[in-house]
Amino acid sequence: MIRSSVKTVNLSKKYDDINILNDISITLPENGIFGILGKNGAGKTTFLAMLMGLVTPTNGEIYIFEESLRKKKYEILSKINFQSPYVELPKKMTVIQNLIFYARLYNVHDYNTQISRLTLDLDVKGLLSKKYGTLSSGQKTRVNLCKALLNKPKLLLLDEPTASLDVSTSEFVRQYIIDYQRINKSTIIITSHDLVEIEKMCSYLVVLDNGNIFYNGDLKNLIKKNNYSSLKDLFK
Amino acid sequence: MFNRIFALLIRYQNISFGSFPRLMSIFYWPTVQILFWGFFTNFFMSNESYGIWSSLNIILSAVVLWDVLFRGQLGLTMSFFEELWSRNLPNLFITPIKDFEIVIGLVLISFIRTCIGLTPAIFFANYFFNFHLFELGFYLSFFFFNLIIVGWSIGFLVSGLVLRYGHAFEELAWAVIFIILPFSCVYYPLNSLPETVQGIAQILPTVHIFESMRLILIERMFIFSNFLIIVFLNAFYLFLSILFFLKMLKVARDRGLLINQGE
Repeated sequence: MIRSSVKTVNLSKKYDDINILNDISITLPENGIFGILGKNGAGKTTFLAMLMGLVTPTNGEIYIFEESLRKKKYEILSKINFQSPYVELPKKMTVIQNLIFYARLYNVHDYNTQISRLTLDLDVKGLLSKKYGTLSSGQKTRVNLCKALLNKPKLLLLDEPTASLDVSTSEFVRQYIIDYQRINKSTIIITSHDLVEIEKMCSYLVVLDNGNIFYNGDLKNLIKKNNYSSLKDLFK
Repeated sequence: MFNRIFALLIRYQNISFGSFPRLMSIFYWPTVQILFWGFFTNFFMSNESYGIWSSLNIILSAVVLWDVLFRGQLGLTMSFFEELWSRNLPNLFITPIKDFEIVIGLVLISFIRTCIGLTPAIFFANYFFNFHLFELGFYLSFFFFNLIIVGWSIGFLVSGLVLRYGHAFEELAWAVIFIILPFSCVYYPLNSLPETVQGIAQILPTVHIFESMRLILIERMFIFSNFLIIVFLNAFYLFLSILFFLKMLKVARDRGLLINQGE
């Protein structure tokens, strides 16, 4: 039997009287890159935030690697990580100080080796002594990705990982994520507005529309079933 | 030109009057100053018998001890605000860090910052004014720890409010201390306050701490019941404030505030 990486059962979120997510029940297997698509306000970020325990669901249950997030939050959090261009690291600390800080929070024992390897792979070694706040958005993204991989997460959540990046940096980040997943057999969930990116990286797709599941399944099936020429047709 | 100036006025008026804490901040400074200096003058006019040097020693001791509270509170709130300002809360709260570990971390950094911050002040006071804070002996440690705990209680209260209601409440980080200053009897005894205010002021642990400090410096005596009151009030307020802070963290998770905080 295939183990699930993420399973949500009747997951809902309401702020005051506004429904953000309604009865979301999905099961994602381990090992793969999964996309979450939706227009602005569809509930993508809230969904990711609930998977990380940043937002408490109004109803429903979340299971990560078949364990209840509500009951085993801290054990689960040590196995997952997150990156978003909208969430920064402390600006007044240098890159190396930030990475060591987070390595300690994740209880990474051999953090020097891990930091050295990641900063080399992501080409940020030259930035280690620079203050995070002085970096360009492309540099910040790569440093954030270093932070997100420090604890070798089994589940990596990426919120628009290539937003506001130039073409070459986007391509670098995209390829790095694909390679990382293939080598480590981890589970990666990506939200993005970039349909081409989702099509390139993901095999499985969850499409949210106004807090409801519009589609949940294989990406190729979605395109084939609806005779789309590409994913762009979904939003036409 | 007038249009542009008018646009600026509207912009700044929105900042100043757009939230209750900011509106309050316009009023409290003059009020607090008047109250504080009024009570202070009353006390010195009615106690001319104090020698200038013993008065100076009492005032300097009070200044340094009050600063323990101030530094303690700022050390805690500013450390927490740093996470808000740098939009770092989501990264922090998705690590396996537990809420009580954040509480302990904030308390420890506040303690370290306070000790470092006060060392030069005590040195200069000793050097220039022949000031003998250490005459308080064991009681100095007692007052120090209890005042820093008052600072932590206020710090957790303010941090919780900012987390829940946003940056407008940051003003409180500076204001709360000065709102309680006139009623804390830092530089004058409790009986300098109007009688009606005296009863209310006694719910503040600071009143009992500074009353005890003066008693030691002037009369060379310490009343044990004061010790118990200080410890009880402090333990009660610290417990409540940490509970409040933890509750606000829970509310922040319920309302999705942890993903929306920033400058």
